[in-house]
Amino acid sequence: MSHSAVESVQASLDVIGARNGELNAFLQVFEAEAAARARNVDAGETLPLAGMTVAIKDNICTRAGRTTCASRMLEHYESPFDATAVERLEAAGAVIVGKTNLDEFAMGSSCEHSAFGPTRNPWDASRVPGGSSGGSAAAVAAGMCDVALGSDTGGSVRQPAGLCGVVGVKPTYGRVSRFGLVAFASSLDQIGVFARSCADAARVLGVISGPDERDATSAQRDDTDFTGQLGRPPEGLTLGVPSFARDEAVSADTRDVFEATCEALRAAGVSLVDIELPHAAHGVAAYYIVAPAEASSNLARYDGVRYGRRAEGVGSLDELYTRSRSEGFGHEVQRRIMLGTHVLSSGYHDAYYVNALRVRRRIKQDYDAVFARGIDAVLTPTSPSPAFGIGEKLDDPMALYVEDLFTVGANLAGLPGVSVPAGFASVNGRELPVGAHLVGPAWGEAGLMGAAAVIERIRGATGRIATA
Amino acid sequence: MPPTVQHVRPIIGMEIHVELSTRAKVFAHAPSPACTLLEPAGANVMTDELVLALPGSLPVLNRRAVELSMLVGMALGCAIADLAVWDRKSYFYPDLPKAYQISQYADPICGPGVVEVPGLDEQGEIDLDADPTPIRITRAHLEEDAGKLVHDCAGGTGTGVDLNRAGTPLLEIVTEPDFVSAAQCVAFARELRRVCRFVGATLGVMQRGHMRFEPNINCELTLSDGRKVRTPIVEVKNLNSFRALAGAVDYELRAQPERYLEDGREMGVGAKSTRGWDDERMTTVAQRDKEDAHDYRYFPDPDLPPVVVDAAWRERVRAALCELPMSRLRRYVKDYGLALKQGEQLVEERPVCDLLDASVEAAAATGMDPNDAGRQAANLLLQAGARIANERAQETGDPVLPSDLGVNAPQIAALLAMRAEGAISADGVDTVFEALASGEHAGGDARLVAETLGVIIVRDEGQLETWCDEAIAAMPEIADDVRAGKVQAVGRLIGDVRKRSGGSADAKSVREMLLNKLGQG
Repeated sequence: MSHSAVESVQASLDVIGARNGELNAFLQVFEAEAAARARNVDAGETLPLAGMTVAIKDNICTRAGRTTCASRMLEHYESPFDATAVERLEAAGAVIVGKTNLDEFAMGSSCEHSAFGPTRNPWDASRVPGGSSGGSAAAVAAGMCDVALGSDTGGSVRQPAGLCGVVGVKPTYGRVSRFGLVAFASSLDQIGVFARSCADAARVLGVISGPDERDATSAQRDDTDFTGQLGRPPEGLTLGVPSFARDEAVSADTRDVFEATCEALRAAGVSLVDIELPHAAHGVAAYYIVAPAEASSNLARYDGVRYGRRAEGVGSLDELYTRSRSEGFGHEVQRRIMLGTHVLSSGYHDAYYVNALRVRRRIKQDYDAVFARGIDAVLTPTSPSPAFGIGEKLDDPMALYVEDLFTVGANLAGLPGVSVPAGFASVNGRELPVGAHLVGPAWGEAGLMGAAAVIERIRGATGRIATA
Repeated sequence: MPPTVQHVRPIIGMEIHVELSTRAKVFAHAPSPACTLLEPAGANVMTDELVLALPGSLPVLNRRAVELSMLVGMALGCAIADLAVWDRKSYFYPDLPKAYQISQYADPICGPGVVEVPGLDEQGEIDLDADPTPIRITRAHLEEDAGKLVHDCAGGTGTGVDLNRAGTPLLEIVTEPDFVSAAQCVAFARELRRVCRFVGATLGVMQRGHMRFEPNINCELTLSDGRKVRTPIVEVKNLNSFRALAGAVDYELRAQPERYLEDGREMGVGAKSTRGWDDERMTTVAQRDKEDAHDYRYFPDPDLPPVVVDAAWRERVRAALCELPMSRLRRYVKDYGLALKQGEQLVEERPVCDLLDASVEAAAATGMDPNDAGRQAANLLLQAGARIANERAQETGDPVLPSDLGVNAPQIAALLAMRAEGAISADGVDTVFEALASGEHAGGDARLVAETLGVIIVRDEGQLETWCDEAIAAMPEIADDVRAGKVQAVGRLIGDVRKRSGGSADAKSVREMLLNKLGQG
C-alpha cells in the first residue's frame, strides 16, 4: 500500500464528511479513534491489511461506539466485546472508520427499514442501495472506505453489492465466526465482505475466516487463502446457468446486462452450460419460513429486562414485554417475529417449518448434483432489477421478498456466493449497476473468487467510485 | 346412595432435576454456582455475555456436562444415545434471559433404563432381604437452569433478577409411573442422590436446590359399585427435601379420593393440574395454571451442532463409573456383618467407602480375612474416624469426612494387622489412628507410631507377672474374693495391672494370668 494509514484514514473521513449527510450510509463515524489507530498502525510492524479502511455493519458488535442494529430497541446499546471478525480485521492492521446503516436487525432488502432513516444509493440518491447491508455497500461504492463488513442471511451482502456496483461475497456457512454478529437467523447468517475489487474481497475474507472456539458452528478449516485463483484464465471455467436466471421477474434492463455478460464470457472462452435447479423456485418460500422462525426466537431476548428499550410506567410484567417490544421494534421486524412465531406454533409447526426444512434439503441436493457434474459455479443475475426508488416497494412486502430470488439458495444450502459488477443499465438517464451472481461449492471460495475475477476482468465494471 | 371408595391404588411417577457440578456453565464460560459449597459473592456475579443473553453472544457446549449426564445415565441403566439434539424451548420470563431454554426435546442424551430401588420394611426402612422394586427410567435430558427472581428488593419496592444460577447444567430424569408409595419415592430419591454423588455428577446439597423433585400423582379408585376410576394427575413442583417429597405424595394420596368424591373429576386431557408444597402446613396448594403459555415452540437450536457420542467417548466415560452405593451397602451389611444403619452411614459418602474398600484390600493382601477386616475398618472409620472428623469440622466450620483425616488405607491395614496379632489393644488402635490423623504423626508408619506411643502390648511374661503380683499385693481382699470363686471381681485387678503397664498390657492376657495365679485358671 503506497499511502500511509494516516493518509488513507484521513481520505476516508474526508469522503464520509462530504457525502454521508446525503447518503446516510454511516450511523456512527469513529473519527478520533480511527485517526489514533492509523498512527499506531503506521508506527507498528507491517501487517497484511495495514491502513485499510473498513466500515462495519451496525449489527456486528464493536467495543467502539454503539451496536444498534438500526433499531430503537438497541439505540443506546454498547457492546462489551468485539465480534471475532472485527478482532481479526484490527489484528491485521485494518482501521475501522465507523458503523453502517442497515434494515433493522438485517430484515429487509432496501435499507429503508432502518429506525434511523434510509441509506441512499450513491449512483442515484433517489434510489435504495439494497439491503439489508445497504450502508456498507453504499459506503464502499462511494469511496467512503476501502472495504466493509456486512451480514448475509438471504442475500443481504450480495444484493446491495449488486445494486451499488461493488463486489460482495458471502462465504460458506461456518467459514466466518458468527460470534459478535447479532443473530437474525442463525442457520443462515454469515458475515460477508464488500470491496471494490475481487482481490480486496478475497484478501479481507481470508483474514476474517477460520475456526473460532466461541462459535460452535464455525468450521475447523484453515484453508483461508482465497487469492490463489484470482489470475486464472477464462478458458476451462465452466459456469452453469439455471433456467430461472431468465425468470419473468427479471427486468429487461437486468436481462440485457446479464445476456451481454454471458455473451462476453462465452467469447472469452468460458463454457456456459444450461442447468436445472428444480427446487430453486421454492427457495424464497422456504426462506421466509425458516428465517422468521429463527428470528422470532433470536429476538425474544429483547424484553426490556436487562438492556435495550424498556417501556416506562408499566403496570405488569406482560405490559413491560409488549410495550417495550412494540415501541422498540419497527413494523418489518414485528411482521417477521409474528410470522416466525406462527410457523413454529403447535398445529402449524409441521406444515410450515418442517416442510420448509424439507425444501431446504432438496435445494442443497440440487446444488450438490450440479457441482458433481463438474460445474464450477452457478451464474445468475444478483437481483431481478437494478436499484428501485426509495418508497417504491415499501407497501408491498412480497415485491421486496422477490429481491432475494437469486440469493437465498446459497444461504439455504450453506454455500458461498458472490456478486460482481457485470455492467450498467441506463435508467431515466442514470447509469445503474447490475451484478452477476455466482454460487460455488462448499469451501470453494478460492475457486469462486477466481471465477468472479474472470467476470471482473472481462466486464471491467468494477472499481469505479459512484458519484451521483 | 353415592358410591364409596373401597380401594386406592397409587400411581406415581417422578421428574427429578439434578444440577451438575461442572466448573463452568453448560453453554457459557461463566463459573457455575453448583460446583462449590461457597455462596456466590452477590447477585449476578456468575454471568458473562451469554448468561446475560447479550446481542452477538453464542452458546458453546461444555462437554463435561454431557459426560456427567452420561455417567448418571449409565448408573441408572439407561441407553446412551448416539446423537443428542439441542432444542430451544421458548417462553418469556425474567429469569430466562434468552427467552428460550436450551434443552433436549426429541433426542435426549439418555434413553430408557431401569433402576432397582431397595425393598422396604413396614417403617419404610431399607430391607435388604426384601425384593427390590424395579423403577423404569423413561429418559434423562440435559438442559440449562433458569435464574431466580428476588422479590422485595430495592427496599421492598421491586422484584430483581439474579442470574447466578442461569445456565447451570441441569439433568432432568423422568421415570415411568412405577411408584406405589411415598416411602418408595423417597427411597428412590435418596438412592438417586447417592448415585449422582458417587459418580461425581452433583454436590447434591438439598438446601441449595441441587436436586428438585416433581412427583406426578394420581390413583386408581375401586368404588363400592365395582367401577374403577382414575383421579386427575397432579404434578407437585419443585420439592427440594425428602420430607417435602414424602409429605406431598402422602397428602395427595389422601386428598385425591376425597376430591373425587366431591367433584367426580377423572383423569383425562386438560384434567392435569400443578400444585406447590406448603412446608409449614404440610399440604399441597393449587398453582396458577399457565395453560396459555404451554406452546413452547420447540425447534432445533441452530447455534449448537448435535452431540455425537461415539463408542470411544462412551467407553472412556464408562471407565469412570464406580461400584454403586446399593451394591456396596449390600456388601457391607451381608459380608462385613455391619448394622444397616452403619452401612447407610458409610454409603452416604463415596470417599469414605473408597477408603474402607482400599483398607480392606490392603489388609487382605497381608492375609487377613477381608470380612473381618471390613467390619473392623468400618467400625474404626465410623467411631474414632467420625468423632475426630466431627471435632475437626467444629474447629474449621467446614464439613470433614473420616476419609479427610489424612489416614490412608495402608495405615489402617497395618492397624488391623497389629490388632489381629494381639500387638495392640482396641484402645491402642484408636490412639494410633488419632495420632496418624494429627499433624505430628501424619503420614507415619502405623507400627512405628504405635511403638513411639508405647501402646504395643507387652509380651514380656516376666514383666506381666511382676505387675500382676504387685496388683494382688496391693488389693489382697479382692484377690481373696477371686480365690473364693467371685471371678467377676478380677476386673479391678485387671484395671490395676493395665494402669501399671501404661495401657500396654493386653486385658485378655492379664486376665488369664491373674486367674491362674488365684487358682481360677
